[in-house]
Formats: sequence, C-alpha cells, structure tokens
Amino acid sequence: MKKWTVALVAGAVLLTAAGCGNNNNGGSGGGSLPKTGVAIYKFDDTFMSGVRNSITKAAEGNVKVDIVDSQNSQPTQNDKVDLFITKKVKAMAINPVDRTAAGVIIDKAQKADIPVVFINREPLADDLAKWDKAFFVGAKAEESGTMEGEIVADYWKSHPEADKNGDGVLQYVMLKGEPGHQDAELRTKFSIQAIEDAGIKVQKLAEDTAMWDRVKGQEKMAAFLGSHGDKIEAVLANNDDMALGAIEALKAAGYFKGDKKMPVVGVDATDPAMQALKDGTMLGTVLNDADNQGKATVMLMKVLAAGETPTKENTGYDITDGKYVWIPYQKVTQESAK
Amino acid sequence: MEATKGSRARSMFSQNAIWIVLILLIAAITVMDTNFLSVTTFRDMLIQSSTRLIIALGAAFILITAGTDLSAGRVVGLTAVVSASMLQSSDYANKFFPDLPHLPLILPIAIAIVVGLIVGLINGIIVSRFNVPPFIATLGTMVAVYGANSLYFDMPPNQSQPIGGLRKDFSELGIGSIGSGEWSLPYIVLIAIFVAFIVWVVFNKTTLGKNMYAIGGNIQAAHVSGINVAKCLMWIYGIAGALYGLAGVLEAARTGGATNNYGNMYELDAIAACVVGGVSTTGGVGRVKGVVAGVLIFTVINYGLTYIGVSPYWQLIIKGAIIVVAVAFDIRKYVAKK
Repeated sequence: MKKWTVALVAGAVLLTAAGCGNNNNGGSGGGSLPKTGVAIYKFDDTFMSGVRNSITKAAEGNVKVDIVDSQNSQPTQNDKVDLFITKKVKAMAINPVDRTAAGVIIDKAQKADIPVVFINREPLADDLAKWDKAFFVGAKAEESGTMEGEIVADYWKSHPEADKNGDGVLQYVMLKGEPGHQDAELRTKFSIQAIEDAGIKVQKLAEDTAMWDRVKGQEKMAAFLGSHGDKIEAVLANNDDMALGAIEALKAAGYFKGDKKMPVVGVDATDPAMQALKDGTMLGTVLNDADNQGKATVMLMKVLAAGETPTKENTGYDITDGKYVWIPYQKVTQESAK
Repeated sequence: MEATKGSRARSMFSQNAIWIVLILLIAAITVMDTNFLSVTTFRDMLIQSSTRLIIALGAAFILITAGTDLSAGRVVGLTAVVSASMLQSSDYANKFFPDLPHLPLILPIAIAIVVGLIVGLINGIIVSRFNVPPFIATLGTMVAVYGANSLYFDMPPNQSQPIGGLRKDFSELGIGSIGSGEWSLPYIVLIAIFVAFIVWVVFNKTTLGKNMYAIGGNIQAAHVSGINVAKCLMWIYGIAGALYGLAGVLEAARTGGATNNYGNMYELDAIAACVVGGVSTTGGVGRVKGVVAGVLIFTVINYGLTYIGVSPYWQLIIKGAIIVVAVAFDIRKYVAKK
C-alpha cells in the first residue's frame, strides 16, 4: 500500500506543478499564434533574465513562446533544441552556452527546416553562413567600451577643472574584468581609443584586474590612491560593480565631498549604479539594451514563423548582411538617470 | 504459506514500484498534452538518456561497493575535451593542435577512454591502498581533474576557447542513426544498450561482479572469504572511470564541441538515478534494470515537464522530492531487514 502512496504522491506533485507551469506560461498563450521556443543559457544570469522578461512581454499578441533553461550546459541546451524540433515550433531563438556549438544547432534546425535566431552570444561567422535562415541578435562588445570612453571625453571637455595638474593630459586608472575575457579586453581597449579619438592625450597611471568584483574594485582603487593619490584624474572600470567598489574607496579618501570630484565610469547600468548616478558619485555607465534584444528576437521569430524574409519594414530593426541585428548600447549619464 | 505469498507479492511490487512511477509520470504528462505520446518524443528521450545511463552505470559499480564517486562529472568533462581536441576538422580555423594529422576515429576515442580509466584507477588506488574514504578520495580527484582539464584547455594556441569544428564522422557518432525518419536507430542509443548489456554481464556472470556485491554487502566478510578486496576495488573504480570516459566522448560528439565545464555536476544526476533505481547507498544492492529505470525517470522529468511547459524551478523541486522519497524507502527496506 505504501508504494501506491508514493506513486500517487509523485503523480499529485506532478499535476500540481504542471498546473503552476501552465499558469506561468499562460500570459503569452494564444489560440492561433505561431508556436516558438527560446533556450536561455542559464536562468540565473542577470542580464539574460532582462532579455527573457522582454521576450515574454514582447511575445504577447505576436507569438506563443516557450522559454527554457539550458542550465549553463551545452548538452542540456542541445536536448532542449531537440525538444523544440519534436514539438514542431515554427521558429526558435537560442542563447548559446558556448558559441562554437552553434554549428551543430544550425545543422539540426536546417534538417527540420526551423529558422533559428541566436541571441547575445555571437556564433562563428562560418557557422552562421551555413544557412540563410540562421540569424543573430546582439550587441557589439567593443561599442560598450567606446561609449564609456566618450562619456569621459565629454566630461573632460566640458569641465576644464578636471585636468587637476593642468598638463593637458588625462591621467587615468583602469579596473579590468577577468583577464582574457573578451568583454574585458575590448572595453579596456576601446574606451581609451574613444578618448584618444576625441583628441585628448592620455596617460595610464595604473591598470589591474578586479575580476568584475565590487570588493576587489574597492581594494585595488585604495591601492591606486595610495600610490598615485591626487594625480588620478579619471577612473574607468570594465563594469559597474568594480566602479562602485572604486567609489567606496574614493569616498573613504574624502572624495565626493565639497569640490573634491572624480569622474568614475562603468558598464551595465545596474540598479546600484543608477542609484550612484542619482547620488552624483558615478559619472556615467553604459546600458546593454536587454529590452530591445528581447523585442528584436520576438519580431524576427514572428516574421520567420510566417515564412517571410526579415526586413526593416516587417521587424522594425535594421538587418545587416541579411543575418545580423545589432542592438546598440546606450549611454546613461547623471542627467538621463534622473 | 500465506505470509510468504504476501511478502513475495510485496517484494515484486517494491521491485517494480519504480516502473509504476515511470508509467504514471508518462500518463500524467500525456493527460496534459496528448501529443507527448509519439515515436519522436520517446526517441528523443532515449537519446537523452544514453550518456546519462552510461555514467549512472559507472556510478552504480561504485555505489554497490558502498562507495561514492564525485569525480564522474569532471572526468566526463576531461574526456570530452581530450577527444574533441584531437578530432577537429582539418579546415577549422582555430584548431587545438594546428599540425595534427587526420587520425583514425577510434584512436582519440580510445585515448579518452583510457584517460578515464586512469583517473578511475587512481581513485581505486587511493580508496583501496590508502584507505581514504571514497567520498574524500573522489572529492580530491574531482577538483584535481578539473584543474588538469583547465590546464590542458588553456594551452596555447587554444587558451580556454571552446573547442569547435568537430569532424563530421565524429559528430555523426553522437547525432547519426541507422536508417532515417522517426523509427531510425540512433547510434548513441545502440551504444548505451550495448554498454548496459556488458555491465549486466559483469554484474551477474563474472567473479568481479560477485565480489563487488560481496564487498558492498560486508567488506570484512569479503576479506575473510579470500577476496582480494583492494584489487577488486581498484578495477571497479577503473571500469567506472572508463565508462565516464566513453560518456564524455559521446557528449562532445553529440554537441559538436567541448569546454572544460562539460559534465559539471553530472555525478549528482548519476547518483540520484541510481538510488531512485534501487541501488542501495549502503552497498551490496543494485541491478542494471533499476539503474535504467532511474535514468529514464529523470529523463522523463527533464524532457516531459519541459514539453508541457512546467517552470524549470518546479522541475527542480519535483526532482528533489523524488530523490528524497526514493532514498527514504531504500533506508526503510534496510532497517526492516535488520
């Protein structure tokens, strides 16, 4: 008898859960809308959660969307792709766990003739070129660096007092993310290049990795202040967390009181960073536009599910080389944060 | 007489309770979405069970000796990377070994399996010769194997980039099948069935199998009755390692790529499938049939619940509940025996 109880409990749990699941997805359901599938690389990534929410919202009235978690595992994601194919979705969007695996996913999609849109992590160009119904929606990583640099350049030009020692050269420190990480390298390189392109001479006082981490950002900044003190005229960080850490170190050193200022920039436009912008401690940050990445993904899937070729007219987004939808980053400054 | 009949019926029932739960699960999912009952969905689920079954059978060897193996997932990752690194197509731009000639398919696969075997033997030696508890011994190798894999993966010119561009004949092993259409037989499923058969033979028809049950049942008694416990344990861990090695190869073939993060946490899935399938955590008990059922249950949960759109968070709760309930019953049986 006990075993029956187990079986019944299992069944009951399942049914309850199934009910919950259906409620969760019910919002985007619709009778005649085309069925589509989205596989996110992992659900607990902050940025991709933003994209996911945007997809759910944009799907209303456009497509019926099934969003699944690949649990940061490429084999799991391939399983989900097989599932979408079996369910005969009309289009799918894949946020690859690792970008080289896109080749196999495109093969599978092509065999089943289901158009596929890759999101956020760009597949190798060779893979994407294999099939004319494979697309990419995402941002150009170097652009975040360029915009970060432009914010600093604008500030430097409009605030002559920022040149503390009056030598006409911008002395800066750089807080880098994880060494070798593509975003870290590109942001470091392109932020400085943007400042130089604005006609400003720069001098690097110090550069170190703080591993994207707020606490490490604070520690490194404290060390920079110890060795360079008031010679530092700007702080560039590869992300907001490190920038916020640096701001804490600067506060401890007496900055942001009276007229003791320091331009600090980051990337991501996180909530704490937005607060820092309002407080006037952070100068600016750069937003990776999750909202438009999600919308563009849904519009592409809608058009593809209808068997049409995506264009600017039917999606609302520019299609580059017939395959790419580049979603620009956005600058966020103290004014735009208010 | 009546009592024996009753207890025999009950034991029949407890033997098959797992299959009843499996059928109930499938029935419940089918009620939610009748399309679920189709050849393609079952074919998908068999494919997705294949590598999991091979890993779980490896873990079963060790659980039956009253041991644990935490290194399984990391060994899968290591052998996925090792085999993928030697099986890239010659025209791929970023080859792991740029000057590697075209090897016969079997060679890198054999190397990867031997690598798995060696890690397994090391586990076995640490456990049997140095009397380190299996949990700790394999915790150590789990961490160290990931380190070794990361070192290999980080070697120039690859430097931690995902390994892609795998040879067609290799990925065919993971995604190809005999015949085509929905009734075709995927190679990966055939491999898993073959492995399950071999393991069944080892469990039931060989001295090693008999010794394995004896060691798990009572290690002192096994010792006294003249079994070379140390040697047996070493080979049992070795065989398990070789099975993880094969699974790693298949994961790489199936996804068309590999990174050092492949296989992360697979050991927990394998152990969970084993205990749900009636392999006793206290040793000495376990059958191939049960492990197959355990693996199938988790695949049905993963695949079926995603199929009907249950939120991934609910899926985790259901999985957790099933593991705990299964072990609670296992322990009850054990206590009742005493």
